[in-house]
Amino acid sequence: MAADGRRSTTVARDSSLLRIKDLNIHFRKRGGPSAAVSGLELEIRHGETFGLAGESGCGKSITALSIMGLLPASARATGKILFSPRDREEVDLLSLDSAALRSVRGKEIGMVFQEPMTSLNPVFTIGYQVAEVLTTHEGLSARAATEKAVELLRLVHIPSPERRIKDYPHQLSGGMRQRVMIAMAVACNPSLLIADEPTTALDVTIQAEILNLLVDIKENRGMSVLLITHDLAIISENADRVAVMYAGRIVEIAPVDLLFRKPAHPYTQGLLQSLPVARNIQLKPIPGSVPAPDELPPGCKFSPRCAYRTGACDTEEPQLRMIEQDHGTRCIRAEEIVRQGATWNY
Amino acid sequence: MELLRTENLCKYYDVKSGVFGKTKTLKAVDGISISVDSDRVFAVVGESGCGKSTLARLILRLSTPTAGKVFFKGNDIHGVRGRELKSFRKSVQVVFQDPFASLNPRMTIFAILAEPLVIHNIARKKDLRGRVSELLETVGLKPEHMNRYPHEFSGGQRQRICIARALALSPELIVADEPLSSLDVSIQAQILNLLGDLKREKKLSFVFISHDLNVVHYFADTVAVMYLGKVVEEADAETIFDDPRHPYTEMLLEAIPRVRVAREETVQRRRRPGTVGNGTQGVAEAPPLGCLFYPRCPRRMSLCSTETPGLRESGGRKVACHLY
Repeated sequence: MAADGRRSTTVARDSSLLRIKDLNIHFRKRGGPSAAVSGLELEIRHGETFGLAGESGCGKSITALSIMGLLPASARATGKILFSPRDREEVDLLSLDSAALRSVRGKEIGMVFQEPMTSLNPVFTIGYQVAEVLTTHEGLSARAATEKAVELLRLVHIPSPERRIKDYPHQLSGGMRQRVMIAMAVACNPSLLIADEPTTALDVTIQAEILNLLVDIKENRGMSVLLITHDLAIISENADRVAVMYAGRIVEIAPVDLLFRKPAHPYTQGLLQSLPVARNIQLKPIPGSVPAPDELPPGCKFSPRCAYRTGACDTEEPQLRMIEQDHGTRCIRAEEIVRQGATWNY
Repeated sequence: MELLRTENLCKYYDVKSGVFGKTKTLKAVDGISISVDSDRVFAVVGESGCGKSTLARLILRLSTPTAGKVFFKGNDIHGVRGRELKSFRKSVQVVFQDPFASLNPRMTIFAILAEPLVIHNIARKKDLRGRVSELLETVGLKPEHMNRYPHEFSGGQRQRICIARALALSPELIVADEPLSSLDVSIQAQILNLLGDLKREKKLSFVFISHDLNVVHYFADTVAVMYLGKVVEEADAETIFDDPRHPYTEMLLEAIPRVRVAREETVQRRRRPGTVGNGTQGVAEAPPLGCLFYPRCPRRMSLCSTETPGLRESGGRKVACHLY
């Protein structure tokens, strides 16, 4: 990545903050376990914004929940999630007990969810809810925590925060609520902020404000951000590297410009050709729809919808392999696809 | 040819704040006059709460206006009854946002698609299956799907069924209220292509309500931008996207995320300009004096706080702003 000097972390930029190794997540179901995530490998580096893209049900949110140790009771995760924040030793988040996990969650890793109304408690003031993070993790007194909460609300550009701390969530607009969520998530200065569809419930103008805010905070504090969204345009504007998921697997991973310039998986290509970016151009949607988790084909999971399918795709599932530095794909014909070049129009 | 026209259309709601609070008037739609020509896609864009769905409901006669009129082919639709009303219902159909909520879970697809045909005496009983098969094929589904129930279909397929239902009566106008927003990108493209094909083949007109400006740019012929119940700008899609005039339209267009690829190897942060953040969205219940957009406007003048700008026409476009 180009040296652009916009990060102020003391840790080397390329060292990893979070490494996910062979993550598998299953849901217990009546007819046997159903896989939500399979063989997921990824690395988030210090100070970077990592985008996780994919359509609904592809496993991106459940991956985030597994990092936070917030999987539903019916889900089981295996593999390793190695987390190494600035001044601590590397830990495997999946092996931590719930007490140890609580000391990481909210402190070292913050999370912003899609729906700010359901993530805030309606019966407490927002000042109390932001302060609670600080009394719990930083051991601050109630008074000190409240003072810090005002500061945090100012940081996320909530006007007159001294008065606003007495407001309840229902008194705020959607954009303001999401700001409160961000204030809570960054209260303890975490090394990693997970933002799961942070702007999907918001209007475009508010969305732009929230994304700008996230980027500012990230850069000022040298955090890493895991940005989960279905919106490729948001990824292209905000992420440094990106992974595209399909049916619980990463099908392509690349620096953001490479992904959009040289997509090397038919699914990524299909997504880009589905974007209405210019007038009077026939869109080329991906035919069919995502099969149910227990109806996935034996070989490449995308093969039934793929225009490049060959016999080999049906027998063996392709592994994620590197076709150039930092650029991985799960397609056996990736080189051909890249060579054929782009037909999209942005 | 003009298909649909609204004249100074208004819909006000009384809103009570708190238990002893005063009743305030919320102007969801406030004096909207638009005209939709046949064989055109007329898009209405705006943020949530701007009144675009209320406008759709008024056009569909699902809601009674506080003031103003809606004319469909010259007839005031809120004044018609009986046979005329039935004919209006046949000519104007609707596709809603959420295909999960707009199909009766206890009816088979056949029952859903045959119902309008029976009500309007379009097909005889023995022809129903054939007609339903045709409809399913038109929207890219298979005839054998007709014996299934809505829960057996994915979101995209359900939206296709909703479109098939809207097509059953061969309407002239389809009002589509956010028909794509609950769908994934790849499915969205399928439905968008389908709507485009239908428009070309069946010479259909659309009133297309959406907050997704990329989709509107792709699909619409004419665009009206709404802000707090009023149209602030209206023009051809090309004109409005190439050369927006109203500061709110500019703000909206600036805020859309776009796929941008740096051609050089250096990664540049493609930051949106900070002008967007000029306070929160105005509150519909308490419109400020003067221009409704005044509190958020980056180009406001003193005149704007005292005088409401009207929608003025010049050079084939309409703008409600003192700057023009």
